[in-house]
Amino acid sequence: MTYRMKLWVGAGALLSFAGGVALATSPAPRPESLQTTELPRHKVPVSKDGNLVVGMCDGETSLEVKGVKEGQSLTREQAARVSAELMETWLKKNPDANWDPAPPPGVAQGQKQAPQQKNPPMGTQKPATGGEMREGGVTAESGGKEVRKQAGTNIQDGHSYGAFTQRDEAVWAASTQQFVDEGHRVFHDAAAVGGTIAVSCDMCHPDASNTHPETYPKYQVQLGRVALLRDMINWCIENPVRGKPLADGDPRLRAMEAYIYAQRKGTKLEYGKK
Amino acid sequence: MGNKFRSIETKHYEERDAFFEGLKRLDRRAFLRVAGMSAGIVAGMGLRSPQSFQLVNVAEAQGTKPRFSFAYISDTHLYEQKLNDRFIRSILKAVDDVNGLDPQPDFVLFGGDLAQLGQAGELKLGAQILKSVKAPVKMMVGEHDWFLDMGELWRDLFGAPNYSFDHKGVHFVVLNSILEKDFWTERKLTPKERMQIVAGLDNGIQSRFEVGGEQREWMKQDLAKVDKKTPVIVFSHSPLYKYYRPWNFWTDDADEVQALLKPFERVTVIHGHTHQLLSNRINNIQFHGMLSTAWPWPYAPEGLPQLTVQMNRPDPFSQFDGCGDGRMDVLESGLVDKLYNLWERNPITVRASYLASGGKQDAPPRTKLPSY
Amino acid sequence: MRTPSGVALSLAVLLWVHEGHAAPETQSSAPPPSPLPSGVSLVLWKLSVPASAAPTPERVALGEKLFNDKRLSLDDSTSCATCHDPNKGFTDGKPVAEGVKSQKGMRNSPTVLNALFNASQFWDGRSSTLEDQAKLPILNPIEMAMPSPEAVVSKLRGIPEYVTAFQAVFKRDITYDDVASAIAAFERTQFSGNARFDRFIHGESKALNASELRGWALFNGKARCNSCHAGNAVSPLFSDQKFHNIGVAAHKQDFPQLAREGVKLVRLGDEKQIDELALQTRFSELGRFLVTKQENDVGAFKTPTLRNIGITGPYMHDGSLTTLWDVMDHYNKGGVANPFLDGGMQRLGLTEPEIDDLVAFLFTLTDERFTKYNGQELARQRARKGQRPERDTAVALGKKGNLGDLAPNPDLSVKNPADIGVYGTETLPKPASTKQP
Repeated sequence: MTYRMKLWVGAGALLSFAGGVALATSPAPRPESLQTTELPRHKVPVSKDGNLVVGMCDGETSLEVKGVKEGQSLTREQAARVSAELMETWLKKNPDANWDPAPPPGVAQGQKQAPQQKNPPMGTQKPATGGEMREGGVTAESGGKEVRKQAGTNIQDGHSYGAFTQRDEAVWAASTQQFVDEGHRVFHDAAAVGGTIAVSCDMCHPDASNTHPETYPKYQVQLGRVALLRDMINWCIENPVRGKPLADGDPRLRAMEAYIYAQRKGTKLEYGKK
Repeated sequence: MGNKFRSIETKHYEERDAFFEGLKRLDRRAFLRVAGMSAGIVAGMGLRSPQSFQLVNVAEAQGTKPRFSFAYISDTHLYEQKLNDRFIRSILKAVDDVNGLDPQPDFVLFGGDLAQLGQAGELKLGAQILKSVKAPVKMMVGEHDWFLDMGELWRDLFGAPNYSFDHKGVHFVVLNSILEKDFWTERKLTPKERMQIVAGLDNGIQSRFEVGGEQREWMKQDLAKVDKKTPVIVFSHSPLYKYYRPWNFWTDDADEVQALLKPFERVTVIHGHTHQLLSNRINNIQFHGMLSTAWPWPYAPEGLPQLTVQMNRPDPFSQFDGCGDGRMDVLESGLVDKLYNLWERNPITVRASYLASGGKQDAPPRTKLPSY
Repeated sequence: MRTPSGVALSLAVLLWVHEGHAAPETQSSAPPPSPLPSGVSLVLWKLSVPASAAPTPERVALGEKLFNDKRLSLDDSTSCATCHDPNKGFTDGKPVAEGVKSQKGMRNSPTVLNALFNASQFWDGRSSTLEDQAKLPILNPIEMAMPSPEAVVSKLRGIPEYVTAFQAVFKRDITYDDVASAIAAFERTQFSGNARFDRFIHGESKALNASELRGWALFNGKARCNSCHAGNAVSPLFSDQKFHNIGVAAHKQDFPQLAREGVKLVRLGDEKQIDELALQTRFSELGRFLVTKQENDVGAFKTPTLRNIGITGPYMHDGSLTTLWDVMDHYNKGGVANPFLDGGMQRLGLTEPEIDDLVAFLFTLTDERFTKYNGQELARQRARKGQRPERDTAVALGKKGNLGDLAPNPDLSVKNPADIGVYGTETLPKPASTKQP
């Protein structure tokens, strides 16, 4: 028995309301090509009364929902209560957590809007983090006192989520960059993307220029529909490039999306722009 | 409706198809046959170009009748036909356009990048197609033609890449402005790899374009013989100024070349490579970019000359949109009005007076859908 | 000819200033009929029906009477309904319109169904409103042939029932404007959705059979129909309401020659003359060019809606294609080459089974109130499948000519082109509730 996993945004936290059952049983079989590495699972305790048990994204905290049986769905109100309660439990367990409350909607009074940023030059983008190689490896101080010292200010620490070292950030940056580089490769290689007439993406979009990922979703005039970036990539593959459209989950499509987004780092999101 | 009878148009396209088919057989005699026929088609049509060349005869309306006109075809980026015939269709469309001009231009400038990867098959195919241009053709080289064999075949087919000539009181200088400093020897790249790198506009491994000391010296000698009051028109594949370095919309020794042109009163540079409406003026020099027949390039994220009026964002759903060819009307003054014959759109003229007035007069129509 | 730069500049400034205002001009719309059938867009209603033109029951009744009244023509032989027969999906089933004294026009009678949502009226878009449109055929010498608006008014004033009716509805004596308003009001009730396709797109997956589903995929992919005939839940007309030269007329005319002559005539003509040119002469083939005088519009005609396409043949602006199979043949070979051919036109490489699938899909766009007629029309068209004057398989499949390269057929199980972009509320008959807890 599976039912659709719903992601809930409450108080700035992403909480899964899939419930114990959905998490404890294996996911629906997926096509071979889409199999990904098994992710660690959060095993939640089973309720004696057959109630729904909801696990939290920290992998530890869970909550039995009285009066709701396994497999039943929650109303929005019930779900909001559950998320608030889980969040409260977690904050009690982690009193020192570096946790920002969700910002209120809109801009605070008196604050000025940042001046509109010019699009940064293309071809020069790097992921957000990525430090230098650090000698000496990770010590007890890394991510704690040391970070505090570097930042020159008194910042919170003491919880594993947030105790990120330069090494962590370097790993993230390299992982991200690897994905983006793969996208760069596919983007510049007509054969890799399945083209039949030696036309590659970069021939019209050097450095992914004029791909404007920040404008999606938007009404794509020529499709007469609202399109996502990947829809337009697929259209281009089929038409100017003369290949077959790729599945949404195709690693090449995903990598190209990564590359295109990476090239527009710093550009303001402006969905629906003409 | 049915095909009860065929109009001139239908016949024209049927003959065009036959011409196209004829390209597959590339022996010399076969070519003479198709080339002759192609000229016949155009003469038989007795028409102006299918597109909008003649409707806009602005120079005359202004009372500044040009002393002569020349047309151009540029950046055709041909692959061999078996791999991709889309770009061949485009160059044929351009050849139709210039052959349909009435009156005929004094000559047709080919703006470089005839081939996509400098292959013999590509260059020879291009050379054959260009032979069906009725007016004399002036050839210029682009980086896509050059970096496989460093211009060997190009020279065989078309002669020296830099030369000068005089026409109706104007001195023309044709440059090979796509030279690059050696980035391949140390990396032990094969000629094919070298070509592939240069062919990637956003490939940062390559060097920046330059005219080079030797050619600048030649240019200096050449210009020494020319009276400073004579109008000079320079053909260069790269823009001969510094627009956007990462894409080689750039000539590294542009300052030095411009210095050589400084003593002349009226200088115009016509360049390829950028595949877009592009206009600039630096002191006494006016610059006009040419359209490609193959595909339009986006405007670079920075460095766009202020005088440039961008073209509307091209529609990817139409293979010809944002592409085209054009005509240059050389005015009595020796400066140039440039007509962009954009396929699928109304033509746009960028006038010498617009550039000379710093954008105050005769502004071309503004874009409605700018680039992102 | 060039626009003087001063004008160009100030225009540019105007445009810029206009774009600077975030809020578009808002105009209140007439209250929409409730409920609108599935496949009819509330948004389009609000964009198309101004409050001032609300189709009140009184106006609609008067308009319907006028629409069907042959006395609006010179010799009492022809009404609006003669060419826009409600029983035939508001068309006449003929290649071109036939007016008084069996005179033939140059263009095919388009359907009135959903015409209220058109951005402009007529094949060349020369009228911007239904009211403006309604006035012209009455005066056209080939159609209803009344000599002048005054003649129409005085004829109607001689019919007592109309004197009373106009007095009751408009509170004044009969005017030509009011005649047009009444007819337009009636036409504003002729919206049409409720096609089998609408049931499919709103979640009834079995509403289309396998062939029709393949056709929907082709429509959005290989056959490139959606480049101009795109539809979505907000704009379900399957028309971009733009003008394209698809080469229908190109093999009948020497286009550049015709264009040159056309330019001269158009410069001197007024609206009525252009209307007559469009209907009576070979200049009709210049299409949108007669209206805009822009060379890029030579031979361009408005993309028609595909709603009810199965029952509104024959096809194209001149009715020259008898069946939807002929239409597919025309597009399959990339249209007919001409210097003004839209750059989006290229050969498609559709096989015969693929053409069958596309036609099958197109017949699902018919309002279910015409189901029986739709079935008859399908059978009639299928019976003509042997006669295919437009078919040129060698060109279509790329074995001959140079009208475009073909992409390999997509693998539908990997990515169905019909899934590219979102049609709209695919699974929700109504927009999801936005009520906050």
